[in-house]
Amino acid sequence: MSGGVDSSLAAAMLVERGYDVVGATIKTFCYADVPGSSKTCCGLEGIADARAVAQKLGIPHYVFDLEDEFTHDVIDDFVTEYAAGRTPNPCVLCNSYTKFSDLLRRARMLGCERIATGHYARCVRSGLGTQLMRATDRAKDQTYFLWGIDRDVLERLELPVGELGKSEVRRRARQLGLATADKPESFDICFVPDGDYAGFLATRLDGEHPAFRPGPILTVDGDEVGQHDGYCRYTIGQRKRLPGGFTAPMYVVRIEPGTRSVIIGPSSALDSTEITLAGMNWLGDPPAAGDEVGVQIRHRGQVVTGTIDELDGERALIRLHVAHRAVTPGQSAAIYAGETLLGGGVIGTGFSI
Amino acid sequence: MMKRVYLDYSATTPLRPEAARAMAHYLDDEFGNPSSVHSYGRDARLAVEEARRQTLAALGAGDGRLVYTGSGSEADCLAVIGFARRHPGGCVIRSSIEHKAVIESTKVLASGGYDVRVAPVKADGTVDLERLVGLLPDDGRPTLVSVMWANNETGVIQPLKALAELCRDRGATFHSDAVQALGKIPLEVDAVGVDLVAFSAHKLGGPKGVGALYVSGAVELEPIVYGGGQESGLRSGTENVAGIVGFAAAVAASISELEPETERLSALRDRLSVGLHKTLPGIVVNGGDALQRLPNVLNISVPNIDLEGVLTALDLEGICVSSGSACSTGSVEPSHVIAAMGREGELASNAIRLSLGWGTRAEDIEYALEVFPKVVQRVREFSGH
Repeated sequence: MSGGVDSSLAAAMLVERGYDVVGATIKTFCYADVPGSSKTCCGLEGIADARAVAQKLGIPHYVFDLEDEFTHDVIDDFVTEYAAGRTPNPCVLCNSYTKFSDLLRRARMLGCERIATGHYARCVRSGLGTQLMRATDRAKDQTYFLWGIDRDVLERLELPVGELGKSEVRRRARQLGLATADKPESFDICFVPDGDYAGFLATRLDGEHPAFRPGPILTVDGDEVGQHDGYCRYTIGQRKRLPGGFTAPMYVVRIEPGTRSVIIGPSSALDSTEITLAGMNWLGDPPAAGDEVGVQIRHRGQVVTGTIDELDGERALIRLHVAHRAVTPGQSAAIYAGETLLGGGVIGTGFSI
Repeated sequence: MMKRVYLDYSATTPLRPEAARAMAHYLDDEFGNPSSVHSYGRDARLAVEEARRQTLAALGAGDGRLVYTGSGSEADCLAVIGFARRHPGGCVIRSSIEHKAVIESTKVLASGGYDVRVAPVKADGTVDLERLVGLLPDDGRPTLVSVMWANNETGVIQPLKALAELCRDRGATFHSDAVQALGKIPLEVDAVGVDLVAFSAHKLGGPKGVGALYVSGAVELEPIVYGGGQESGLRSGTENVAGIVGFAAAVAASISELEPETERLSALRDRLSVGLHKTLPGIVVNGGDALQRLPNVLNISVPNIDLEGVLTALDLEGICVSSGSACSTGSVEPSHVIAAMGREGELASNAIRLSLGWGTRAEDIEYALEVFPKVVQRVREFSGH
């Protein structure tokens, strides 16, 4: 229970269904160290809200301190990925480890058999096992963030709000008199509430780290057209902080940390028809080479059909039938068969298997 | 309704019926402000002064003042900060296992440039007297020594007499936080020779929101709360009349049953300790000899557990205990007290405090002994230990 409306209602729905429910708020970060943290949904305010909802529902509520786990699994990766010139997605890792596996482990300690969250996705059970499917309200669907969860977790997972729309969630929450019914949604990365990633990295990396040092801005043809003040301030598809004077708009198309180079090019240079993935995770039996799948490379992004070209336990190469734009190393690709999330991986930089 | 066993009397206690009865009158008909000149005020004043007189007598304190405060923490702060403000350029020495109220107030002093020194404790949790002697300034500066009477986490009783003698010999002022000791062991403030003693009502069956600082005759302090000059100018603010009366009643009640309760509670505590040792091999009791500890406290370190998991799982089974200290979000932090006693790693961070009180029955202890090992086993199974 983050203190937000979705997990609040999820808890309420389970209480209504007659489950013996225990509320838990995960503490992932020392909020006292984060300026402006009262704005995030998982800060101290979130804990107080979750507690109030739990009280209203008549269920116990605990704070699970997962700060060490979160730092190790999520923040450390965030820092090393940016340092390596990639653009990580910490929310995916938080879901892969903290919010499901770690939560389930804690829950089992308390004698609980199952866990539930307020994510917009559906757990559909059949003779074939449990499948994770897109939320009924496609606009709210969060399956993109869930490709990394452990398949064993699925068997013990409930996602009660996945079949409702957001307005329905708010309506029901108001009906139940939950204090969080009209709380605004949060979008920021919870441990960088002010959105200043470079500032956050500066607290975790040596100030002399190459990621903060100036380097050349080069065109795709190799012409040096300016200097940047640290490649960690750039991501693929970015237009800000680039020199002007070109006939067409220019975008960051590649970052080369070895030479601290930021490579820019026109819009067309952003298109890729090939995606290499590492750290593959499958929520069921893995697909085979030659299978046609849906590939989504950002939250709420479009799905492009592709064919799995090569695949091993760790990595995959997918040929897209239509180009995806700004395929960004470090970000995630979620892989679907129709509405079912099959799994996914972290976008790499064109290695071969 | 699930069975609930409350083993957290060191955190707070239910209100004793004697205290509730004494307070009712002053929450209702006798609502006066003790500073008012009219009859309501006079009646309230009379109640406060009678409570003060009774409490001082029960503490074996003849010659000093009892200054009522809003909490035990406030009493500690008044002693420490009040002393430093009265004696600029002086020195404060505290033990390493003090309550946060003393630790944090000395930190404030130190950040303002005041000379603050910390005396270590030995493995049994008692302050190291030799090291303490070495910390005393030898230039005759006004010095406050602050060592708690009994520790809030381990129940370890400090060598108060020796400390008081040492301070007297060296001309230092001696403050002791007796929040946990009051009502659990005889105090005899004058006989021991302590200059400043902090108390709290809710640890022995009084209401929350009342504390007191005993200030012996010769000690001079500056106030830390300013206003109408109540409590001999040391603590402004309208007196919490009902709270003060309830505090006095709780002190009287706990002292009147001190001997039989000491015997009963230490027997229950020992039963708990022996039973847990049997089912949970490897546990260690924090704080040396049982006779050197409060009769109602058992602090154990349990190896190979996820502490937060155990505490929450126990709660779901109705057993209310606590760890070192809870932070504001309700999550668990490792204990500075256990670490100061030289415990390292897991044993320092996996300390659990079970504290008993007048409501604790033998069947509560049996229930705890039944549930505790089950919970520990389950938590171990799922924590990867």
